Amino acid sequence: MSIVIGVLEEGLIYAILALGVYITYKILDFPDLSVDGTFPLGAAVTAMLILKEVHPAATLLLAFAAGALAGCVTGVIHVKLKVRDLLSGIIMMTALYSVNLRIAGKANLAIFTKETIFDNGFLDRVVPEGARPFTVTLILLAITLACKLILDLYLNTRSGYLLRAVGDNDVLVTSLAKDKGMVKVVGLAIANGFVALAGCVYCQQKGFFEISTGTGAIVIGLANVIIGTKVGARVFRKLPFIKATTLVILGSLVYRACVAVAIAMGMAASDLKLVTSALFLAILVASSLKGKKVPTYA
Amino acid sequence: MKKNVKMAMAVMAALALVGCSSQKPAETAAGAGGKGDKEGSYTIGIGQFAEHGSLDNCREGFLAGLAEEGIIEGENLTVLYDNAQTDGGTASQIMANFLANDVDMICGIATPIAQSAYSAAKDTDVPVIYTAVTDPVLAELADGDGMPVGEITGTSDKLPVEKQLEMIRKLLPEAAKIGILYSTSEVNSMSAIEEYKAAAPEYGFEIVESGVSSTADIPLATDNLLKKVDCLNNLTDNTVVSVLPMVLDKAGKENIPVFGSEIEQVKIGCLASMGLDYVSLGKKTGQMAAQVLKGEKKASEMKFEVVTEASFYGNTAVAEKLGVTFPEELASSAAGLFDEVVAD
Amino acid sequence: MLELSHIEKYYNAGTVNEMCMFHDFSMKIAHGEFVSVVGSNGSGKTSLLNIICGSIPLDGGSISINGTDITHMPEYRRQRRIGRVYQNPAMGTCPNMTILENMSLADNKGKPFNLRWGTDKRRADFYRQQLSSLGLGLEDKMHVKVGVLSGGQRQAMALLMSTMPPIEFLILDEHTAALDPKTAEVIMELTGKVVREKQLTTVMVTHNLRYAVEYGSRLVMMHQGEAIMDRAGEEKEGTQVSDILDKFNEISIECGN
Repeated sequence: MSIVIGVLEEGLIYAILALGVYITYKILDFPDLSVDGTFPLGAAVTAMLILKEVHPAATLLLAFAAGALAGCVTGVIHVKLKVRDLLSGIIMMTALYSVNLRIAGKANLAIFTKETIFDNGFLDRVVPEGARPFTVTLILLAITLACKLILDLYLNTRSGYLLRAVGDNDVLVTSLAKDKGMVKVVGLAIANGFVALAGCVYCQQKGFFEISTGTGAIVIGLANVIIGTKVGARVFRKLPFIKATTLVILGSLVYRACVAVAIAMGMAASDLKLVTSALFLAILVASSLKGKKVPTYA
Repeated sequence: MKKNVKMAMAVMAALALVGCSSQKPAETAAGAGGKGDKEGSYTIGIGQFAEHGSLDNCREGFLAGLAEEGIIEGENLTVLYDNAQTDGGTASQIMANFLANDVDMICGIATPIAQSAYSAAKDTDVPVIYTAVTDPVLAELADGDGMPVGEITGTSDKLPVEKQLEMIRKLLPEAAKIGILYSTSEVNSMSAIEEYKAAAPEYGFEIVESGVSSTADIPLATDNLLKKVDCLNNLTDNTVVSVLPMVLDKAGKENIPVFGSEIEQVKIGCLASMGLDYVSLGKKTGQMAAQVLKGEKKASEMKFEVVTEASFYGNTAVAEKLGVTFPEELASSAAGLFDEVVAD
Repeated sequence: MLELSHIEKYYNAGTVNEMCMFHDFSMKIAHGEFVSVVGSNGSGKTSLLNIICGSIPLDGGSISINGTDITHMPEYRRQRRIGRVYQNPAMGTCPNMTILENMSLADNKGKPFNLRWGTDKRRADFYRQQLSSLGLGLEDKMHVKVGVLSGGQRQAMALLMSTMPPIEFLILDEHTAALDPKTAEVIMELTGKVVREKQLTTVMVTHNLRYAVEYGSRLVMMHQGEAIMDRAGEEKEGTQVSDILDKFNEISIECGN
C-alpha cells in the first residue's frame, strides 16, 4: 500500500513538472534545460519563504512567479541575445545553481518544524483520523489537477492559441503581426512557472530544500511527457478526447511506477539513471518507428 | 522488415543497458523480510547518500555496533542497502521502497538522506537512525537542546575543530594562514568553515577560504590558494575529497602541508589529522539502533550523540618529505601512523 | 502607395562571396495595383518581397507606405497591414491546430492576444461561410487538424487566412508553384476574386507567365536586381505571354545560356 501511495505522491509532484516540460518540449518545440535550475529554484524560494513565516499556500504562487521570471530570462537570452535554445537553457541552469544557493543561503535548508500545505493546524482539525494517510496524496491530486485545468483553459485562450502557433509554425505568428520572440518568452515563463511550482510542492512535501534535487529534473520531465504523449496516445487512440495534459500526468505516474517496480525488484538505486535512459531510448525508438507525427513542413 | 530490425535493435540495446545494471546487491535481493517474521529478528533499511570512504566506514561500523549488541546480519538481521548517489529524488524513492518492505528501522547515512528518511517515515511508526549528519539541529532533525523532533535520532560527525587547530599549531609553529577549500553546495562544509573562522584566532591562525561549485573549479582554486597560505586544511567536503589526490599533488610541489579530517585522507597523503574514526561513529550509532530495536528506549527519547574524542593520525612518509617531525606527545598517542602513501 | 527608394542589398557583404542583389533600386506601387513579378531564379524577385515585408535587413535606401517611413519597422509590425502567402502551403497554417482554431487565429489578427477565449463560437458560422466560398468542403471539417489536409486545401486556407483580416497589401510568393495544375488554377481564381472584392494592393511573384499576364494590372520582369521590363496600363494590356518569353530569351542569350 505504502508503495502505491509513494508512487502517487512522487508521480503527482513530477506531473506538475512534466506539464511545464510539455509546454516547452511539445508546444514550443524548445528543448529547455533551465528546468534543472528552476525546479530547485521553486524549492529554494519555498524553503526560504516558509522560514520567513510566509503562508505555505502563498509560496505556491510566489514560487510560480520566481520560476516564470527565470523562464523569462532564458527566453530573453534566446530571443534578444540570439543564443541557441539549448545553450540558453544551459546558461540559465548553471546560473540558477548559484542563485538557488544565494536564495536558500546554503545547500540544505530544512522546514520540518514549520507548517506546510501538507502539514498544518487547519488540516489537523479538518481531516478525520481515518483519512490521514491519504491527505498528502489528495492535496497533491488537487494541486496537479488544478494545474492541468488552468493550463487547458489557458491553451484555449487567444494567448494560448498564439503559444501553440509559435511552436507549430512561427512564420504564421509573424504573419499575424505578433512578435514570435515575445510569445516564446511568455511560453518559457509559464513552463518554468509550473516547474518551480513542482519544486515548491516537492520541498513542502519532503520538508527540506536540497541543492541536488534539480539534477536530472529535465530527464524525468521529458520521460514523463514522452511516455504520456507517445505511449498514451497509442493506448488511448480510440479515445481522442483525452487531452495531452491528462496523458502527461498519466505518463508521470507510469514512469514513477516503473521506477518503483525497478527498485522493488532489487535494482540498485545507483543504476536507476541507466534504466531511465534505456526506457527512454526504447520508447523513443519504438514510437519513431510507428509514430504518425504530422510533418510540420510538408 | 527494416522496421522490425530497427525495433529489435532498440529492444536489445535497452535490454543490454538494463542487463548491465541488474546485478542486484545480494542484501537487497533478500527483499521482504518484514516485521514479525520471527521473534527477535529485524529488518533494517540502510540508505547512504554517496559512495564515499568515510560513509562506507560508517555503515561498516553501524553493522558492527549492532552485532556487538547481538543483532547480527544474516542471523537475526536482514539488511536492505541502497545508495542514492547524491541524488535527492532517488533518496526519497529508496525510502518509499524501504517502507514498502516493512522495515523495522531506517538508517540514513549523511544529511540529505537522513532528511529524506525522516520525511518519509514521519507518518509511520518506523524509527529513523542517522549518522554522519554534521549538524542535526541545523538540519531540523533535532531541536536546540539536542532532543529529536520525532522518532529520529543518531550521531553527528561534527569535526573536532579546536583539536585540529591545536595539532596544526604544534606541527607548524610558524604558520599563520590556513587555506580551506570547500564546495558551496555542501551545507556541512559551510558550517565547518564558520567554526574554523571562529576558533582560528585563538590559535593565532587566519583562515583563507575558497569556495568552488564543482570539481572542475578545484585546480584553479587550489593554485590560487596555495600562493596565499602556509598550509591547507581539508574538510570532509565530498566534492573536494573526490579530487584530493590532485590537491595533494599540487600542494606537494609547493612543499605546502595538507591536513586531513579523517583517517582515509591521511592514508592517501595528508600530513596528519585529528580525526573522527567513522567506524567508531558507526558503532555508536549501531548501539543506539540496537536499543531502539530491542524496545529499551524510543528514538524520540534519545539525544543525538557527538563523538567527542578525536585521535591523531599521521603519515610519516609525507612528514619526512616535508621535513616535519611529529612531536613525541602526538606520535605516542597516535591512533594510526602510516609510513606510505596509498593510492586512492 | 508603397515606395521603395534607392534600395541597396548585398549578400555576404565584406567577404569574397559578396554579391550585389540590389543597387540603387527604386519602385513605386500605387494603391490598388496588382503587380505580377516574373524573372529567372536569383533575379531578386523573392528578395524584393522579403524587403517589402521586412524579413531581411537593408544595406541602404528606404521603404515607405503612404509617405510613412517603415524602413526600420520590424517585420511583425509591418504584417499588421500585409497579408502574405508562401510557396510552401505549410507556412500559412498551423498543422497541429484544427481548421476552426486556425481560422480563429487569423480572425484575431490585429486584436490583442489576451486571455479571452481563442475561438469566438458566434463567429463559427462566419468561418464556415468563408470556408465554403473555397468550395473545398472544408466547412464540414472544422475540428480536423490542418496537418492532415492536402497541400491545395492548406494553401486555400492560407490564402483565406491571410486575406480575412483587414489588410491593405497582399504579398504572394509563388503561391501556386507547389500545387498541381488543377489546384493551382483553383487557388489562382480564388486569389483574383479576393483581390477584386477587397481591392487589395497586390505583389505576386510567379513563374507562371500566363497568370502573370492574366491577373496582373502591371507586369515587372526582374533581372540581376533590376526591373528590366515594367509595363502598366495600356502598354501592359497589349503584352502577351510570348512577349515575355522573347524578353526571357534575350536576357538568357546575354548571360550566355
